[in-house]
Amino acid sequence: MALQTPTSHEQEWREDLQRVGFVRKLLAGRRWYGTDWWLVAISAVMVLGFIILALFPSLFAPYSPDAQAGPRFLAPGASPDVPVLVSLASSSISGLSDLEVPAGDPRPSVGVVRGVPTAQALNDQAQALNDELSGTGMELRPRIARFDTLEETLQAVADGTVLAAVVQSTEYEQVAGDYPTVAEGESITGGVSSEGGFILGTNQIGQDVFSRLIWGTRIALLIGFSASIIALVLGVPLGLLAGFRGGKLDRILSVVMDSLYAFPGLILAISITAVLGPSVLNVIVAIAVLYIPTYYRIVRGQTLSVKEELYIEAAKSIGARSSEILRKYIYPNVIPSVAIIFSVNVADAILTGAGLSFLGLGLPPDTADWGIDLARGQGFIQTAWWLITFPGLAIMLVVLAFTMMGEGLMEIFNPKLRQQ
Amino acid sequence: MSPLSIIFLIIGVPAALGLVYIFVKGSAGLRRYILTRIALTLPMVFILASLVFFVLRVIPGDPVSSALGPKGSPETIARLNEQLGLNDPLLVQYGRFLGSVITLDFGNSLTGAHRPIVDEMSERFPATLELVIPAAILSLTIGVFGGAFAASRRRRTADYSLRLYSVIIYSLPIFWLGLMLQLLFGVKLGWLPIAGRIDAVVGTTLHHITNIYSVDALLTGNWAALRSVLAHLVLPTLTLGLILSGVFVRLTRINVIETLQQDYVEAARARGIRERVVIYSHALKNAMIPVITLIGLQVAILLAGAVLTETVFSWPGMGRYLVERISSRDYTAVQSVITMFALFVALISLAVDIIYSLVDPRVRY
Amino acid sequence: MEDVLYSVRGLNVRYATRSGDVHAVDDVSLDIRRGEILGLVGESGCGKSTFGKAIMRMIRTPGRIDSGELWFDGADLMTYSEKQMQSVRGGAIGMVFQDPMTSLNPVQRVVEHLTETIRTHEPKVSELAAIARAEELVEKLGIRRERLDDYPHQLSGGMRQRVMISLALALRTKLVIADEPTTSLDVIVEAKFLDLLRELRDEFDLTILMITHNIGVVAEVADRVAVMYAGRMVEIGDVYGVFARPKHPYTVGLLNSVPNIDLAAHDLYKMEGTPPNLLSPPSGCPFHPRCPRVMDVCAVEIPVLQEVVPGQATACWLYDQVGVTGG
Repeated sequence: MALQTPTSHEQEWREDLQRVGFVRKLLAGRRWYGTDWWLVAISAVMVLGFIILALFPSLFAPYSPDAQAGPRFLAPGASPDVPVLVSLASSSISGLSDLEVPAGDPRPSVGVVRGVPTAQALNDQAQALNDELSGTGMELRPRIARFDTLEETLQAVADGTVLAAVVQSTEYEQVAGDYPTVAEGESITGGVSSEGGFILGTNQIGQDVFSRLIWGTRIALLIGFSASIIALVLGVPLGLLAGFRGGKLDRILSVVMDSLYAFPGLILAISITAVLGPSVLNVIVAIAVLYIPTYYRIVRGQTLSVKEELYIEAAKSIGARSSEILRKYIYPNVIPSVAIIFSVNVADAILTGAGLSFLGLGLPPDTADWGIDLARGQGFIQTAWWLITFPGLAIMLVVLAFTMMGEGLMEIFNPKLRQQ
Repeated sequence: MSPLSIIFLIIGVPAALGLVYIFVKGSAGLRRYILTRIALTLPMVFILASLVFFVLRVIPGDPVSSALGPKGSPETIARLNEQLGLNDPLLVQYGRFLGSVITLDFGNSLTGAHRPIVDEMSERFPATLELVIPAAILSLTIGVFGGAFAASRRRRTADYSLRLYSVIIYSLPIFWLGLMLQLLFGVKLGWLPIAGRIDAVVGTTLHHITNIYSVDALLTGNWAALRSVLAHLVLPTLTLGLILSGVFVRLTRINVIETLQQDYVEAARARGIRERVVIYSHALKNAMIPVITLIGLQVAILLAGAVLTETVFSWPGMGRYLVERISSRDYTAVQSVITMFALFVALISLAVDIIYSLVDPRVRY
Repeated sequence: MEDVLYSVRGLNVRYATRSGDVHAVDDVSLDIRRGEILGLVGESGCGKSTFGKAIMRMIRTPGRIDSGELWFDGADLMTYSEKQMQSVRGGAIGMVFQDPMTSLNPVQRVVEHLTETIRTHEPKVSELAAIARAEELVEKLGIRRERLDDYPHQLSGGMRQRVMISLALALRTKLVIADEPTTSLDVIVEAKFLDLLRELRDEFDLTILMITHNIGVVAEVADRVAVMYAGRMVEIGDVYGVFARPKHPYTVGLLNSVPNIDLAAHDLYKMEGTPPNLLSPPSGCPFHPRCPRVMDVCAVEIPVLQEVVPGQATACWLYDQVGVTGG
């Protein structure tokens, strides 16, 4: 007679939903939430990426952030101009030390271009290496042959007139195509040859910008996470307490928190770091203090509005204890908001931290930090644009990732704003 | 008369008159509301000032000797300590500090030229105003109309683009935006100056009345100076204004979306009111009410941004003054500046609340 | 032949949701006669409010009117542009909403509500003239003209409802759609409101579509009544006829559900089953899972609305669909 009743239909559907795994639910969410799902997904991947960078910077950074690995003010993508040894591709000579011969043997001839300082560099390096070799029976005393132009020098190498030549890497690169039999070797000064990469250039004391960028992630995330966690640990319980208990405690706390919240955060952080002195811990503390009121206010507000709900009254009327009410009703309503705030908070904390170090306050001056790099780079804005572009870009990307995640989560968790 | 006093008069007198007018014409509810707000502002200022005082007193070591550095002989240090009253018990110093806040007499700066701090602020506070006011107007304009537009085109390209814009702007470090603008418009294109308030040569011709250079130039008819000031104003205002606009776009959008879900919006449409009127008149006016209450809080962000913007553009305002004074460990000046900031925030907060009460008829009547 | 003001033919309204399409109004045809008060009743979610909005073409995404003809006063509104519809709304057709507190703009004075409406439809009218018309209008409805300068929150509930009516009548209105107009009013105010409605109908030559779930209100004031269930029209007819001799089993159940003070507690009637899931509605007649007189054909084919006695039509397989039977 009657078909399957609606209620059992529903029940089955519900049971099916339970059985479906978490991962399936996650992926099914894509269709349900659309754009916002992608927002959260992409930003979560980015955040994960940054965390990995922060935890293992040496895996990704070619150089140590303090190492003055290259020439100063190298533009991104440009190769450093170093004197390199060139020789026949077929020969096994790649470095200056390959020119060592036993004492007494005929000295190898090395070509240089007349008037270019490579000859001096060659002399100095060869001298230094030779001194090291004294007593071993080997010597390095190349015979220097001077040519008028680079082309003649390279031709001499190709012809075999000289065993090798020392030329400026940048000049050589421009004409290297004309001499296919000649190959570039190492730099004779031991620095990086043109093969080496300073992808984003070097700064005013020769440090690799890219490496400093990677290492900067560590400090930025450290400050961001630590400050937010401390603020959360202090702010959330206070908010719960104030919201749940109310009364005088609530009023006093709220006035203090509101005043703190209304005050310009950066200025407060500036004062605290000025007082405490420059160190990473002090910066973390200063920023944490800044954000305690944020957690406090949101948690208190949520607690208050949940407390007013009718089901709390109903629960109380059947004898539920305060701790039960807190656990069963208030926590589940408050936790999603806290998660969202945390994400946005980390973003904010990183921005504030960068601002502090940009102003020269808070971090010790030798830290590899984006804000510090930006401050130092500002002086060279006319000549070295890359010094201020990339650290700032890094800050923006990290902050963007966390902000996007928070935004996406908020659209998903906040049903009021979801259409229908 | 010092420029600071002039500015206070320009703002204070109309504000006071306005307040009296509101009082006389408003309903009892309104009067009660305003009085309550004023009464709440006082504890806030008190708390903030006290916070400033105690936080700075926590400095380990002797502030005077750290300020003077190795130049300070023991006699000088002792003399200064005595002069500044730093040997007195803490409570006495606290009382003296509160007194100085009320009378706005902050004493002299500890290092450097030892000038009265009020004079130094006299020069710098108007500079900050000149930067902050246009930036606020810019950010509000972009923010409010952008947010309303995004809300009206919800879930379509315009909405997502504006949301993307506000998220990106929010993530931009303000000092980086300033640097990039400097790089592009100052260095690469050479269109605009990148530092200072006015061209040095032209600046000597400007007669200072309020120390707000654009106003002074207008008042004295000095067009060359006006052009120079405006040119210097463009980049810093753009920097500060754009960053803040992101916040307002988000705020307005959310509030307009909620407002558009209200019954009276549907009812207005049922009467044949044009969609544009519905959104930008009916919905926006209602949505602005909660936004106004939040503007007060954005002032804090405005000031923080001002500190950074002034540093990037070498703008001689209160923000840069603060950073300078901290670097030279001039803690008297630092204390005074932060107190001034706190006062400023409290007053703006109060003003915004009063404006809110006038705008929302449910409070007015 | 009665004079028909608004003839709705085959209206279909759907809403797109994340779980699929909801068929909120399913092939509904209805004639609203000039000068009558037609009640439209049904439980929450049956589609009556959607219907009311649809005939003003006020359905917005994610909803849409899939098909149908809306013959209002000789013209099919479905062919109108948005601009033309805007002049119809608030003009020839007006709407009175359920909650007068939330239906009035809190930051706009009452007089501005009226003058804005008048001047939107008749731009040549000056502000002063509009104010004069507004004052005339509200006085007819029993509101003193001084109250026009007030904001909505300063008025009482009954006054606000009267302001709502005046807004619907501000121009030469022919049809007033009242969507749950008395739900938020207390009984005394409600009675006054219904009296007012009858007066206005007579004085202004109005036609009223009263959408409500309150059967008592309909019984008191309506000339005809239409019953909707799950987006379909199940019965329509003269109000006395339908209430005294209901034909459709749903109407029977609805009328039985109205509590009677003479009944004892255990005699309270409760309809079997739960409201239909509009995402996947039952096949055939939407009421069949709950119908106490269900037959095999009910689950298979959808019944068509047909006149079963003069002045009363119903959509039910109980009544021979081929020809009209008596009784």
